[in-house]
Amino acid sequence: MSSEFDLIVIGAGPGGYIAAERAGGAGQKVLLIEKEEMGGECTNWGCIPTKSLLAGAKHYVHARESERFGVTVSGAKYDLKTAMAWKQETIETLRAGIAFLMKKNKVEVVKGSAVLNPDRSVSVNGKVYSAGNIIIASGSSAAVPPIPGADGKNVLTNRGILSIEALPKKLAVIGGGVIGVEFASYFSAVGVEVTVIEMMDEILPLMDGEFARAMRKSLKGISFVTSAKVTKITQKGVDYEKGGKTESAEADLVLMSVGRRPNLEGFTDAGLDISRMGIKVDEKMQTNLPGVFAVGDVTGTSLLAHSASRMGEVAVNTILGREDRMRYHAIPWAVYTLPEAAGCGLTEKEAAEKGIPVKTATVQMRANGRFLAEHGKREPGMCKVLVHAEKNTLLGVHIMGATASEIIPVAAAMIEAELRSEEIREIIFPHPAVAEVLRDAVWEIE
Amino acid sequence: MATEILMPRQGNSVESCVILEWRKNEGDQVKTGEIVCEVETDKATFEVESPAEGVLLKRFFEEGDDVPVLTVIAAVGEAGEDVSSMAPGGKAAEEKKEAPAAAEPAKQEKQDAKAASSAPAAQAVSADARAGVSPRARKTAADKGVNLDGLTGSGPGGRIIERDVLAAEPAVSVSPAARAAMGAGMTAPVRGSGIGGRILSTDLAASAAPQAVASGETREIPVKGVRKLVAERMYASLQNTAQLTMNSSADARELQAYRAQCKAAPEEMGMAGVTLNDMVLFVVSRVLLRYPCMNAEMHTDKIVEYGSVNLGFAVDTERGLMVPVIRNAERLSLKAISAEAKRLGKACLEGNINPDELTGGTFTITNLGALGVESFTPVLNAPQVGILGVNGIDLKPVQGKEGVEFVPHIGLSLTIDHRAVDGAPGARFLQAVAKELANFRLALAE
Repeated sequence: MSSEFDLIVIGAGPGGYIAAERAGGAGQKVLLIEKEEMGGECTNWGCIPTKSLLAGAKHYVHARESERFGVTVSGAKYDLKTAMAWKQETIETLRAGIAFLMKKNKVEVVKGSAVLNPDRSVSVNGKVYSAGNIIIASGSSAAVPPIPGADGKNVLTNRGILSIEALPKKLAVIGGGVIGVEFASYFSAVGVEVTVIEMMDEILPLMDGEFARAMRKSLKGISFVTSAKVTKITQKGVDYEKGGKTESAEADLVLMSVGRRPNLEGFTDAGLDISRMGIKVDEKMQTNLPGVFAVGDVTGTSLLAHSASRMGEVAVNTILGREDRMRYHAIPWAVYTLPEAAGCGLTEKEAAEKGIPVKTATVQMRANGRFLAEHGKREPGMCKVLVHAEKNTLLGVHIMGATASEIIPVAAAMIEAELRSEEIREIIFPHPAVAEVLRDAVWEIE
Repeated sequence: MATEILMPRQGNSVESCVILEWRKNEGDQVKTGEIVCEVETDKATFEVESPAEGVLLKRFFEEGDDVPVLTVIAAVGEAGEDVSSMAPGGKAAEEKKEAPAAAEPAKQEKQDAKAASSAPAAQAVSADARAGVSPRARKTAADKGVNLDGLTGSGPGGRIIERDVLAAEPAVSVSPAARAAMGAGMTAPVRGSGIGGRILSTDLAASAAPQAVASGETREIPVKGVRKLVAERMYASLQNTAQLTMNSSADARELQAYRAQCKAAPEEMGMAGVTLNDMVLFVVSRVLLRYPCMNAEMHTDKIVEYGSVNLGFAVDTERGLMVPVIRNAERLSLKAISAEAKRLGKACLEGNINPDELTGGTFTITNLGALGVESFTPVLNAPQVGILGVNGIDLKPVQGKEGVEFVPHIGLSLTIDHRAVDGAPGARFLQAVAKELANFRLALAE
């Protein structure tokens, strides 16, 4: 059977479109299949629209809270319709950009739902395609647990809440992970009363423990209820059990953000090895079927857009015969709340669980020149570093405070390069820059 | 009075062990029960503990030495005690006398080359003792953090010259932490696990893994330990027995269906880990009882048939082939056989198998099916009279009611010792195994 394509990529999110772009750029004949919009969840219902809305929310906050800088604004208003139009324009510009990239790299794009057949061909819209290799990058969807009332009209996931036409008065967010806390921060900033209900004893599981606590305190306008199990959702709000007692949070709108489940529809009959988390892959993103790869959220591992992109690159490199492997130990994450936070590498708890001896140091951002000049001494912010106690290699960096997400790639590069504290001390940072907190924290290590 | 540390006797079949790594240096304080060194038998690795508290006064052997069991390998006592009377006699003692003399010039040069870090120069001692190292090579090695130990010299008389050191320097980048560890004596793989194949300190810890040889280089591997044992056994087997291999295959549909059923079984049943190989082990353990002529050993003047089945199975490890034995396999359920095979296989891979578990087999199974082998000639594990090779599953045309259909078949390659077993009884045994595999669910009822 002669293959029509060198590579078929299923899903045009950050895992799929990057894989298609890289493979096309390397001269492969690529077919990209997408059932919804170019850019996937990230561009259309995730990373990008939330950043667009949060940008407006930040301006709104600054307009009200800039008197200490000598700026007084009267009559500051937040108009959701205009903010949504801004969000939409951002999305559409990016979508067009991705479409252009596909054209530039001679990637053929087909719209439709793909099915992987047992003979490893792919069916879309009644047509059958075949290729030397296949990359599944179908992503994930918001999980909706079977809680009574979860199917009500007042319950939305990340998708629905990005197209509301009016702000709610009171919002209840079920799930205190990155998605829930980011939405909570946005709605709180534009004047909505927000309650976040989390089942675990702390929010933001990616974060080092003390940072998650500090973050909870810094997100002032939001009520956090932890160690609480939601029992029922009604038109009036959310009922939950905490410490044996049933309580309720009033809300006219409920956001369900308890987790994600892999999009496996169309891939379950081809003999793929699938676990509860998603499609099983090795460090080269290969599934159990020869020539079939899976990348991104559908693998159930490291559910982040940038992880998906890198996985896509690893799959393409493997297909092209280039040595590559997916490493998970230096993947940065960021949460774009007010204040924002980011991290990379091990938390202190993870290091203890793995039996890795560490030295740590934490510095406060108010000691940083640029941070102090732009945010003042009351604004929360800190940076913590973890270093191997014997080898002195940098193992983890955790930052809370403005521009954290723009600093963290530096930490990722240092961890990937396995730099030790003595080498990091030789790297020059611009002054003043908030990023200097990282260098200062490394100097604090004994 | 100082205390002797003896090379322990590991199991009844071990005559000598190789010292893999000294954990304590001469002059180090040691406690009772503390690990002094790691040793390798021909089948597994062990740690040797100190029988007394005190100072490690003398190490009588180098890493890599093959030492007979119950020989004195080191002495523990009070600082300054004379332990020369404890030194084991013969060749090892002579070598000892030479070592200090060889160390002298190395010390001298260490002082000359002040730029060189002390660790590589100290490591150079043992290389010096063997063939000689040019001063320029030593300087380069110190600068680049290349470990001279284990380098093959290309200079006159096998002398290590600068070219050898440069060739040994990894072509990929090396993290500072890894370079420091290499300088301290650890060896690096050709390619690491970091960014772009960068060698990280963690790659050095795992340097026991197989290393690729760079093109144009040769590598000498001493034949010892497991490799030596395999070499002797295989050669002796082919020299001293009359091997006859016959090939057949069995309908694998039931095996595959049962395997799928095990995988899908509720977790608490603990069947998910049952492999095709476990199923073959199970069937053979039952069929052997009906063919005692196959569950036997051939000695010079007698054939010994066994009433119970001690089933050996081949395990591919980094150190070489190992054959752990499942005792009384005929009495174990499929689940128990699977669990025991897993336990033994894991111990072999981790190098901590009890040598006694590698003896006493009455029949052996070797499986190359996962590697796509279609048929082969297994070599008898003499004095056993039979070994069954398991091949991959391939489609085979079979005449069905409605014409030819393709049915998955698992290949079987049985080698018998024709001195003990004739062709026909051997073939009948093979046929019985094939039949039971094809009717696996019925075989399970036995």
